[in-house]
Amino acid sequence: MSDTKFILVVEDDPVLKNLLGHTFAGKYQTLYASDGNEAIALFENNKPAVVLLDLMLPTMDGFAVLENIRSRTDELKNVPVIIVSNLGQQKDMEKAKALGANDYLVKAEVAVEEIVAKIEAQIAEKPAA
Amino acid sequence: MSLRTLIVLNILGALLLSIASMAAAYFFMHDQLIALFPNAAQAKAIETLQLLLIQYAAITAAASTVITGICFLVLSRYLIRPLQAMVRGIEAFADRSERIDLTEFAHAPKEVAELARVFNDFTIKVEDAHARDVEVSRMKSDFISTAAHQFRTPLTGIRWALEALEKETLTESQMALVTSAKDKSHQLVNIVGTLLDISAIESGKHKYTFAPVDIEALTHAVAKDFGELAERTKVSLFYVPPENPLPLARADAEQVKWILNNIIENAVRYTPPGGSVRVMLESGVDRVFVHVRDTGIGIKPEDRGNIFERFYRAENAVAKENGGNGLGLYIARTIATDHGGDLNFEPNKEGPGTTFTLSLPVVS
Repeated sequence: MSDTKFILVVEDDPVLKNLLGHTFAGKYQTLYASDGNEAIALFENNKPAVVLLDLMLPTMDGFAVLENIRSRTDELKNVPVIIVSNLGQQKDMEKAKALGANDYLVKAEVAVEEIVAKIEAQIAEKPAA
Repeated sequence: MSLRTLIVLNILGALLLSIASMAAAYFFMHDQLIALFPNAAQAKAIETLQLLLIQYAAITAAASTVITGICFLVLSRYLIRPLQAMVRGIEAFADRSERIDLTEFAHAPKEVAELARVFNDFTIKVEDAHARDVEVSRMKSDFISTAAHQFRTPLTGIRWALEALEKETLTESQMALVTSAKDKSHQLVNIVGTLLDISAIESGKHKYTFAPVDIEALTHAVAKDFGELAERTKVSLFYVPPENPLPLARADAEQVKWILNNIIENAVRYTPPGGSVRVMLESGVDRVFVHVRDTGIGIKPEDRGNIFERFYRAENAVAKENGGNGLGLYIARTIATDHGGDLNFEPNKEGPGTTFTLSLPVVS
């Protein structure tokens, strides 16, 4: 078991992507996708420990990406997905939860450090493979 | 007095009048006949004539009774029934906004049919206006949620960048600047969040999860949370438990907590040092009440009608720079009424200050 985990960050805003990278540096090995299709491809090839998923994305939105992951038949089906989006209405949260999101964070309302804490919580919760 | 009673009285009056005139005619004729035929031999003829007169009077009375009865039935059928149907239709529209077709009065008098037609046009106008209002409100809500989302993305960048900057080695004055910028960005984030809450609650999009809630425990917990703020602002904050245990309320605990946070915080903030805030609980018929009584600056009579309006801030509240964006009470009341309860206030009868009262329905 390696000490640094692979995290897949799906975020289309370059500035926010850099800021997340700044925070995650030294903590995780991070892969970035800027749209839905890229996210699916990277997810399949790299088997990340946790996915941070934005909802408003080009090509395929976050809900569709989540749906795609949860409809898999292999062990990747249950990879924890944390929604990190600025959509924050009740209906969005309910929809994401219903599709199988493990957590939901509204970007503007959380400090970057809180995201790290949520990632840690998901890694700790996941039974050892 | 109902229209039916009026018609009955009218008809009875007419009937009485016809009987009375017949009786008068009879007595008059009766005397005249004797004067006309003084001869005893003609007595037989007089008697016959008198008998005929009585019969005539009786038949006329009977006929007028029948005719008036028919009149009554006709009036009832063509005037009273359409009017009653109209009253039901107006009531249905007023109570449930339900439209009953009132144009089907083919046999009703012209005036009644006209009234029905005018009312029908009126309901169509009212419905159109209402539909427009709903549409405008929906567009406004959509606009607010889109705008709020657009605001949030750059705000996230500012916030996260400042948080990263905070971790660098900074001089004291640089740190103070970063902290101010961070505080202000948090404030903006909160305003955007509040706007989104309002648009959801106002457009009826917010789905409440109603469950039995122990209002006593919830209120006590919220009051405790403000202990620190009260101490800092030198306000005595008291929690007064109810005399009898409160029944459970039917409520969305998160939303009620939001209201309580708002009214208790307002009370503490608007009370000058040395003053007090009392949080009291009470149960009534089908209701639980939370009273928050402060000894604060009070609400001026000219502001009383407006404090539940969006973005309204009383002049003395603005001048004191107590923070707030003028949205809290508006949302709080909307949430309370969505619960089937209410949020209201009264100036204290004795001494300065205001008492806010939140009422919520109990579990049925």
